[in-house]
Amino acid sequence: MRNLIIFFRRYFNFFLFLLLEVICLVLVFQRNNFQRAAYLSSANDISGKLYDKYSNVQYYFHLKSTNDSLVNENVRLHNALRSSFDSMVTTNGVKIDTIRQYSDDTLRRVIGTQIRRYQYFAAKVINNSINKPINYITIHRGSAQGIRPNMGVISSSGVVGVVRSVSENYSVILSLLSKSNSVSISARVGQGKEMGSVHWDGDDAGFATLKDVPKSARIHKGDTVVTSGYSALFPENIPIGYVENITIGDKASTAYTIRIRLATNFYNLQYVYVIENLLKDEQQRLEDSTYKLIK
Amino acid sequence: MSILLKNIIRFILLLLIQVFVLNEILLHQLVSPYLYMLFILALPFNLPRPALMFLGLLMGLALDMFMNTDGMHAAACVFIAYLRPFVINILSPQGGFETTQKTPSMTSMGVSQFLIYAAILVFLHHTVYFLLEVFGLGNPLYLIMKIVFSTLASLFLIVLYELLFFSKK
Repeated sequence: MRNLIIFFRRYFNFFLFLLLEVICLVLVFQRNNFQRAAYLSSANDISGKLYDKYSNVQYYFHLKSTNDSLVNENVRLHNALRSSFDSMVTTNGVKIDTIRQYSDDTLRRVIGTQIRRYQYFAAKVINNSINKPINYITIHRGSAQGIRPNMGVISSSGVVGVVRSVSENYSVILSLLSKSNSVSISARVGQGKEMGSVHWDGDDAGFATLKDVPKSARIHKGDTVVTSGYSALFPENIPIGYVENITIGDKASTAYTIRIRLATNFYNLQYVYVIENLLKDEQQRLEDSTYKLIK
Repeated sequence: MSILLKNIIRFILLLLIQVFVLNEILLHQLVSPYLYMLFILALPFNLPRPALMFLGLLMGLALDMFMNTDGMHAAACVFIAYLRPFVINILSPQGGFETTQKTPSMTSMGVSQFLIYAAILVFLHHTVYFLLEVFGLGNPLYLIMKIVFSTLASLFLIVLYELLFFSKK
């Protein structure tokens, strides 16, 4: 017994070292736990506030490009408005009540045939990195404003990422620029709307790779790659990127490897939209119960 | 200024420089400089080893908090904090350094000694950190180049910092 105590005292430093390293490594390898606490990330109070202050300063240097992107988005939305279209045939100029689908009013929701599926929250980006193997974005919106983990995030021009952890006033987003397989977004491309999945390969923040698109697909340079809408994170037809070049990995492969230019400019991200899918729980429940039936 | 106060100020200063200046700089995919571990390098000679490791853990976790790296920097920092006394022992002349100053720096250790000391620990820190960050040996050449170039960049910054703050005796 005495020898044991002497042994421990002699190697106390080494054991302490091992203990601390194990604590650190446990933290590192817990990272796949999606619902983990936010206290050790940039969503906590101290780092969140500091990043907030810092981004307020930095914000002014990007005002011009932020304004440009907002104006562009306004133009796009104006063009999508029903009032921008006119029916050529005057006899069946029936106007459809569009207020229904944009309204939150419960009465209208009961009457209306179309129910709201997605709700958007605007949020300001206060921290963003693009040069790590896994990149994170911190935004100034949190659980108090209705953000929850696993919501999709887009910018005015395209897909940005997925909310990973949330504190009261801040959230951390796992950026699309993440090399591991933790982020893969199901996508569609071309006239045939062929399916594929988008990954980031870790070198350039402006480009990503679209995989698993069958060779039968007819794809041209410049085609838009959009979200498929299957994943319950993003609505369909949100741009992810544009086809840059098309290669075939190896001859035996039946799929293209397509390099795409990302639609979102991650270098100067200022505002993002967090998307809540109001029907997600229902879809999830149905899918889960069906899988159970098959088992 | 007391050594405690000096170290507290250095802790905050290095953390802020790392988070708000160095992390914003995008030089190249292979070059990501880190300066914050200078805090561990510049702790007093006579600090006991457990204290060194706990301070390393604290510094690492503080940076992890900002960078969302969950414990990677902490692991690297504890590692070099543990190895620091060995490196100092190897480099110190017979009977230890003639210390009018109680902390390792260019003036107390000599320029070449300090450079070797910093180079060894920075290299070890980067090796541990990038191994954890990349997680795997799938692309060893990339990993090695990243470690080497980042070590050089970090060393350059450490020398600059030392020249700025420790030029006078």
